[in-house]
Amino acid sequence: MVNLVLAEETGFDIAGAFLDTSKGLSGETISSLIIVGIICLLSLYIAIRAHFQDPLKKPKGILLLAEIGVNFFDNLVETLMGKYYRGFGGFILAIACYLFIAFIWGLTGLPSPVTYLATPLSLGLITFVLIHANAVRFNKLKYFKRYVEPVPFFLPVNLISMWAPLLSLTMRLFGNALAGWTLMTLIYGAFGSLGNVIFEAADQALKVGGVIAPFITPALHAYFDLFSGLIQTVVFLFLSMIFIANEGPEDDIDEFSVKGGR
Amino acid sequence: MGNALAAAIAILAVMPSALGEAFVCMKTVEGMSRNPEMYSKLRTTMILACALVETTAIYALLVAILIIFVA
Repeated sequence: MVNLVLAEETGFDIAGAFLDTSKGLSGETISSLIIVGIICLLSLYIAIRAHFQDPLKKPKGILLLAEIGVNFFDNLVETLMGKYYRGFGGFILAIACYLFIAFIWGLTGLPSPVTYLATPLSLGLITFVLIHANAVRFNKLKYFKRYVEPVPFFLPVNLISMWAPLLSLTMRLFGNALAGWTLMTLIYGAFGSLGNVIFEAADQALKVGGVIAPFITPALHAYFDLFSGLIQTVVFLFLSMIFIANEGPEDDIDEFSVKGGR
Repeated sequence: MGNALAAAIAILAVMPSALGEAFVCMKTVEGMSRNPEMYSKLRTTMILACALVETTAIYALLVAILIIFVA
């Protein structure tokens, strides 16, 4: 009952999050494609600029920004994940760009891709596959030993807890984005109604209603979209890096690594 | 009506989670004030710990969403 009303009023339907293609591509998927296109064009532009840049001159403008970003992420990966994971800087930078833009995409008024379960699930799946691929890469056949770790009796338990990182990463992104989206929708609705009540007379005469919301919601947008998006991006990247780095050899990992998986 | 009530009860689980995050931040600020040279490392660890504590609250939110939209 409630879900039908909500789905009709807001266009949100959680059942549609499971790849329902009968109504064409969903708005969130199109937003996601637009974001990917923006990032691709930008990186292509930066690559062309970098190709024709004189290496002896100082970089300027967007090239300088790109250099700072790449440098920062390379250093971060080096200190956090160790020397065996040096190539991961580009991957982490790409995920960071996509995730942060996807979080603040709600500010444009278009549907944000993170509120669509398929997007966080895909991002979580990438990390999940990388965790196990790196475990196989470093442990070879000893990889399968973890499923019978204390005694072979624990096999079913280990097979279930194997999925915990995927569920936790996915639900962290999806839950946060969805909570922010729901709260903003409720606040817009509440202040819209309030504005209609207060300015009813003006509404009759001038046809203006709901003029309160634009003065109150920007601060909340700054929290729920910008701040929350930044924090969640950082947390997702850190957790991904630590989960992946946990599978490697122990010697080069500093105190940031957390024992055991979650 | 019953669904909404069930979701409200399910989301009560965020209460101890908020307390846990408060404890994390409290102890981190104590540690930061005792030796300020550890500031950046403690901040990184605090964000991670907060994220891990938050997992419980997010599971509760997931259960509430599932109750409202799916059940």
